[in-house]
Amino acid sequence: MEHRDENKEGIGGMINPRRYGIERVAYLLMRLSGLGLLAYFIGHIYETSLILKGEVGWSEFLELTQTTEGHVLLAIVIAMCVFHTVNGIRVMLGEGGVGVGKPARPDYPYIPASQNVKHKIGIYSAIVLAAIAMLYGLGVMFGE
Amino acid sequence: MSKMRESVIMKIHYGTALAAVALVAVHILMRLTLNFAESLEYENVIANYQFIPYAGMLEIILILLSIHGFNGLRVILLELKQGKVYEKAVSYGCVAAMVGLIAYGSRTILMVNMGMV
Repeated sequence: MEHRDENKEGIGGMINPRRYGIERVAYLLMRLSGLGLLAYFIGHIYETSLILKGEVGWSEFLELTQTTEGHVLLAIVIAMCVFHTVNGIRVMLGEGGVGVGKPARPDYPYIPASQNVKHKIGIYSAIVLAAIAMLYGLGVMFGE
Repeated sequence: MSKMRESVIMKIHYGTALAAVALVAVHILMRLTLNFAESLEYENVIANYQFIPYAGMLEIILILLSIHGFNGLRVILLELKQGKVYEKAVSYGCVAAMVGLIAYGSRTILMVNMGMV
């Protein structure tokens, strides 16, 4: 039992993006963006409930979101949303057997067939699309 | 509560994700039909809530994202630590939070839709 506990890295192991390549970075970003989006979603449900306070309450809160900080926060949410969606579709396709290669005898140097160029392109595409969406969002929010 | 298989839960997780992507896209596009800031003005937001098909869509998005979000949180917490009591506490805690959020969000949608503002 002690030996098993020694090998547990806990949160430190979970958030360590090194050692396993871009797939590990995608794993970390997927979880971070998921937690970020859940926090935003809870906040969004609360902020929209302020409309029950009437026009004054709603306008007061809206003023808070129409600041530079509010726009930057929303741009980060847009990036997280796009990354989470695109990478999530990649993960779903992978779990469905799409783009993971054919089963084969494991030979040296034991490169996993599933960690292939198709999935790497999927991860990089998710990052690039998230950046483009974030810039577009900033353009819309600051362009007004 | 009978135990649901993880494979079934993951199918629900993916199903809610795909449905939410489509509906959230419509929700965001609604903000862009007008000028972004203008679409958030009090009268426009009230009009959105009082348009029944749109209010229904908001309710569906609320349910889909609550299920997906809190199940995602449950998965992350179960990856971190395992144990009978811990797993039960996390699962029931996430279900309770999910139900609470759906109830709170539904209250807003219903009250504004029925003109109780």
